Amino acid sequence: MNEPAYQRLAQSAFSSLWLGPDHLLLVNSTFCEESYKRFYFRDIHAITLRKSSLRTIWNAVLSLPLGICLIGMAVCAFPSRGIPFDPTAPIVWSIIFGLFLLPFGVNNFMGTGCACYLRTAVQNTSLPALRRMPKARKVFDKIRPHIVAVQGQLTAAEVSAHLREAAVSEAAASQAQPPKSPEPPVLS
Amino acid sequence: MSPLIACPQCRAWLLEDVFNRPDPVPCPSCQTPLQIEVFPALFQKAKTGHEAEAVMVDGEASCFFHPQKKAVLPCAGCGRFLCALCDCEFGGSHFCPSCLEAGKTKGKIKALDTRRIRHDNIALGVSILQLFIFFVPFISFLTAPATVFLAIFFWRSPRSLVRRSPIRFILAMVLALLQLAGWAAFFIAIFTHRSHP
Repeated sequence: MNEPAYQRLAQSAFSSLWLGPDHLLLVNSTFCEESYKRFYFRDIHAITLRKSSLRTIWNAVLSLPLGICLIGMAVCAFPSRGIPFDPTAPIVWSIIFGLFLLPFGVNNFMGTGCACYLRTAVQNTSLPALRRMPKARKVFDKIRPHIVAVQGQLTAAEVSAHLREAAVSEAAASQAQPPKSPEPPVLS
Repeated sequence: MSPLIACPQCRAWLLEDVFNRPDPVPCPSCQTPLQIEVFPALFQKAKTGHEAEAVMVDGEASCFFHPQKKAVLPCAGCGRFLCALCDCEFGGSHFCPSCLEAGKTKGKIKALDTRRIRHDNIALGVSILQLFIFFVPFISFLTAPATVFLAIFFWRSPRSLVRRSPIRFILAMVLALLQLAGWAAFFIAIFTHRSHP
């Protein structure tokens, strides 16, 4: 069998998501090895996006060195008595500030953090390649037509009705379980 | 698996109208914004396997693995007759369990590949090892021939399913050949210096 052609949807450091002819391919890679998980469009039950605090965490981490650099620049701009003014110090502080400002800007440019999960009949897998909401939604919009073409589509009202039915039948099944056997008598 | 879906944050069952919405909707329990797209497969009941029919007429084709069961089709791999129980459909073809297992272990059925060794990455890594182990001098004297060996020996081995370009092998080979050329120049310089002091 020939290997199918894949189109890259998303990539992170150790994980990537690819679109195949009839499935999604999740590639988890180390330096020496790649492992693959295939999710056929006909088997996908649900895709969940959850907003996460990834962007806030990175902002907090990067704002600390940025703050230190700002203080450093302020100290250089307004030297106190006794300390001679060094013209190279503000330049050095500015360069360090720029080094941290760049990832800070990229972090905010990439948008809100998110976690993405893909559910099939046998597993609920996290997709680590999708960590940002705008990118995840873009990927989501790209794969939705493929899944809909295979499975069809459900409206929000239909899904709610199906889930209510499922909840009722699960509750009925749990009530219909046989009673526990009586405990053995305590020997005195 | 139950068709009910839980919030990935608070694990509460979601029954309200949070599904198939164009924009994220807060979870009724923990208020985490969620966007959940549900597809019809969630509510379909799992299919049960086929039951093989017994051979009723003498001389009727029977399954290779179950001689008392009626054959329904031949295996696409080995051509043996299979009953409905032994028929494993995969990618539009029908295989017997042993061919499917062999296809997976020998890598003949690409759609069953679940892992691959990145020989090209290993070759490239070995070729630039000297940069990282700079405190051990002359290590490239060993790694350069090793890189050439790896690149030639694994050139035809299956590459990544998604990145199939041989560029890493080529890059590793070029780097290794440059290192070997450097070593050759070094030894030639030593020998010519000794012979013509």
